[in-house]
Amino acid sequence: MKKKLGVYICACGGNISDYVDIEKVREAVKDEDCLVLAKTTMFACGDTNQKDMEQDIKENDLSGIVVASCSPKLHLTTFRGVSERAGLNKYNYVHANIREQGSWAHSDNKVGATEKAINLVKAAIAKARLAESLEPIIIESKRSVAVIGAGVAGMKAAISLARMKDEVYLIEREGKVGGHLSALEKISPEGTDGRELLARLEKEIAAEPNITLLTNAEVTGTSGNIGDFKVDVTIKGSQGEMVKQFVAGSILVATGFNSYTPAEGEFGYSNIKSVITLPEFKALISEGGKADADGTMRLYYNNREVQSIAYIYCVGSRQVKGENKYCSRYCCTAAIQSSLDVREKFPNVDNFHFTRGVRTYGKQELIYKESNDKGDVYIQFPDKKPPVVSEENGKVLVKAIDILSEKSESEVVADLLVLVTGMVPDSDTALGNLLKLPKGRDKFFNEIHPKLRPVETVIDGITIAGTCQGPKNVAESVNSALSAAAKSHSFVSLGELELEPIVAYVDNDTCNWCTACSDVCPFSAVSMIDHNGKAVAQINKSTCKGCGMCLPVCPSDSIELISFTNKEMESMIDVLAQ
Amino acid sequence: MQTERIKLTYDALVIGGGIAGGEAALNLANNGYKVLVVEKSLSVGGKMIMLSKVFPTLDCSACITTPKVSEISRHPNIKIFTESDIESIEKLGEHNFVAKVTRRPRYVVEEDCTACQLCEEACPVIVKDQFQYGLVGRKAAYIPFSICSPKVAAIDIDNCTLCGACEKVCPPGCIDFTMKAKQYEISVKTAIVATGFELFDPSTVKRYSYQEGKNVITSMQMERLLAPTRPFHTILRPSDGKVPDKIAYVLCAGSRDDSMGNPICSQICCMYSIKQAQLLMGALPMADITIYYIDIRAFGKGYDEFYEQAVSMGVRLVKGKIGKISEKENGNLVLRYEDVSTGKLKEAEHDFVVLSVGAKPNEEPQSLFKTQKLELDNLKYVKQSDPLLSPAKTTIEGVFVAGAATGPKDIPDSILSAGCASTEAISYLNS
Repeated sequence: MKKKLGVYICACGGNISDYVDIEKVREAVKDEDCLVLAKTTMFACGDTNQKDMEQDIKENDLSGIVVASCSPKLHLTTFRGVSERAGLNKYNYVHANIREQGSWAHSDNKVGATEKAINLVKAAIAKARLAESLEPIIIESKRSVAVIGAGVAGMKAAISLARMKDEVYLIEREGKVGGHLSALEKISPEGTDGRELLARLEKEIAAEPNITLLTNAEVTGTSGNIGDFKVDVTIKGSQGEMVKQFVAGSILVATGFNSYTPAEGEFGYSNIKSVITLPEFKALISEGGKADADGTMRLYYNNREVQSIAYIYCVGSRQVKGENKYCSRYCCTAAIQSSLDVREKFPNVDNFHFTRGVRTYGKQELIYKESNDKGDVYIQFPDKKPPVVSEENGKVLVKAIDILSEKSESEVVADLLVLVTGMVPDSDTALGNLLKLPKGRDKFFNEIHPKLRPVETVIDGITIAGTCQGPKNVAESVNSALSAAAKSHSFVSLGELELEPIVAYVDNDTCNWCTACSDVCPFSAVSMIDHNGKAVAQINKSTCKGCGMCLPVCPSDSIELISFTNKEMESMIDVLAQ
Repeated sequence: MQTERIKLTYDALVIGGGIAGGEAALNLANNGYKVLVVEKSLSVGGKMIMLSKVFPTLDCSACITTPKVSEISRHPNIKIFTESDIESIEKLGEHNFVAKVTRRPRYVVEEDCTACQLCEEACPVIVKDQFQYGLVGRKAAYIPFSICSPKVAAIDIDNCTLCGACEKVCPPGCIDFTMKAKQYEISVKTAIVATGFELFDPSTVKRYSYQEGKNVITSMQMERLLAPTRPFHTILRPSDGKVPDKIAYVLCAGSRDDSMGNPICSQICCMYSIKQAQLLMGALPMADITIYYIDIRAFGKGYDEFYEQAVSMGVRLVKGKIGKISEKENGNLVLRYEDVSTGKLKEAEHDFVVLSVGAKPNEEPQSLFKTQKLELDNLKYVKQSDPLLSPAKTTIEGVFVAGAATGPKDIPDSILSAGCASTEAISYLNS
């Protein structure tokens, strides 16, 4: 039976129509074979248009639709939803991207952009003529979550998941939980002691029967897919290593950050004795004090009293020459908090801050204000002219141009120089590689979309939380951890999941099991089976992501991808080649 | 006469239908809980739905808000009350809250309206359009804005002359001037406060000349000028419709300044100003754009890179606090400022000035809770009882908070905090 298709061409409120003449596109495609309806719309994704589309599908008894708008990454689920609500199998909807691949890419050439849009829409119509109804693959989802990393983010996520009645495996590679938390003696804004927070979290974890805590444990193998990840954990014990296996419906990654280690000689680090990093300074504040005869606390470093401290900010962050272009977000506040702490404990200490503009955003501004009120000195050096550090009579001389005082040269001779070091991604890349998690330009794990899907990764069922996604302070890590917990919980809470049926399948008659497909499959979805005495390839439907990598390498052309069959692709190419 | 309240029961009440409230509602609904969202304005979507593009990805804001809004409004587990006020919320016990809610009449039968806009054409009354932040006018019978949800007309009864013109042209006859407010009594087990923030009103600061200077606008007004659903389809300055070519941004308008009643940083203004500057450079390639700032706070993921991109595109950044803005006869504006790099007082002339207004707390949620006190912090934001380890917990057990109600937040942080609040709410429902 001949298909009845409808086409919608979106203006995207000008994002498309400023460059692509959408009325011309409509005119050019409206008489295509099988087309019964062609419309333009201001916002295809808008509520009103969605309702109109539903009505159109029902009234015209459409058996397929084409939406020409933005990238399907943004709105595939939106228009699949429209189809379903109108009683149309959602795989009969085909998308044409005329924004990212049309108007935006060719904003300098309106005629060409329009022509390209016409071709893309015609190709999509050709595909829609051949599209078939499909049913999702239903799989069982195990109600358990593997949380990797037991810093503050991982611990909070584990506790929340357990309280939502999920079974939790909390996996920590160190011998104890807590990550960086125990090194934070005072956390802004209220001076909360990180060790107290840690004690609270440990108690809460111990009280949750749903949490299995594994320390000295590393994830050394994973297979399977959302709803059914098989996780191998290698646990180091006094008796040697043992491997524990379990199944998790979702994996929540919270592997945290490393503190930036300055290069040798960077601002005198490791060459000049009195140059230390912020974490080292925090430890010094808690350990390096001695009371003198009249009871005043004095700070000592290397057996010398410290009375003046210089701080250089953005060490390892916002690098002009180095690779770390990003701002580490937490360090301005952390450094100022430490400088307030040191003043409070050792009243005779003076602080000199060499910054690139202080970034105490939001309420953190109050501690910057407090620091100014207490008499700390702030010097702002130009981005491209960092301070010069040298040793002078056992002290540290810091020279910088100060843009806050008419670019005059400032000099501070300090007893101690603190390098305000930022956050860098965890240096252990094994887990990321194992789980195939993509990273951003900053080398932290990447979310799918910072606003729409901020804790999900492109690997279905794996969420990211805390500083492994990017620098964060404690409260921000917890927000992201609980957000990731909500998402991981939704993958496992209903007991079953629907998976995309767009997967590859093998023609057993022509396949000769040459292993070419299994060699290239990035998801280990191909295995060998026996078919009437012949070895052939078999594709695991729930592991296959439909990426199509196996198709071009098959010498006998025995693999097809559902919804992207040779016939469908050829029909599109024919249109585009006309 | 006391009318009988309509009684309804849900698992969770979400107060506020902005992006944080919407995200929290979706998280709960997707885990099988029944949610009521109460929104005081005519549309859900909050402030985000009004924005042009969002930093640092430059996604079109409408394009990423509308699908969320659409998902919320269609979700079988979510019910939305727009144009509604909460009068009180009483906690009777754990998992036991009762909210009294009034749905104000919009004088249009929601189910029958097709958003054909004939009533708008017929209406003779013109007033300032609050959804375009006063840049253009609207009718007294009107669709709030093109991508509002629900897309249903409303009658602005305060400005309506009751001439009946709209009633005569309405094809389905859905305008009903006899419509009355409806009273509800809602029983819920938990509540999420997502009441957002207010924008700083610069008319309270004389030296900004916001009211006298015709070409001084707020950043939210600039968002509207830049949005895909923008009123003029280009950037025009209000006094004479001229396309501006020397635009100034005044950062920290209403932030980091005790004299304006707000000592803290608003956390969003640096980035949205940098974003607007980039968009303006695209829209008006010949225009010069100067940002007057104290510190640039580009702290989030990809933000500093976005700031560097603006610098390399040619946005001029001047470190200096603006003292006074005065208007010249030709509508141009003279900005007096201290140039920090030279320490000298300087003046600069611009033909369009944008005040990057900051965030102010919305104090309303405190007054809603009757039997137990929802405490505010020193800055009048909703107080977090355990700010580091449970940022979504308030001083009332079972009441959680999401988004900018606890302090200024950008969109990614608001969405994460909404995720956090929904997890806390689900844990509470399971306890």
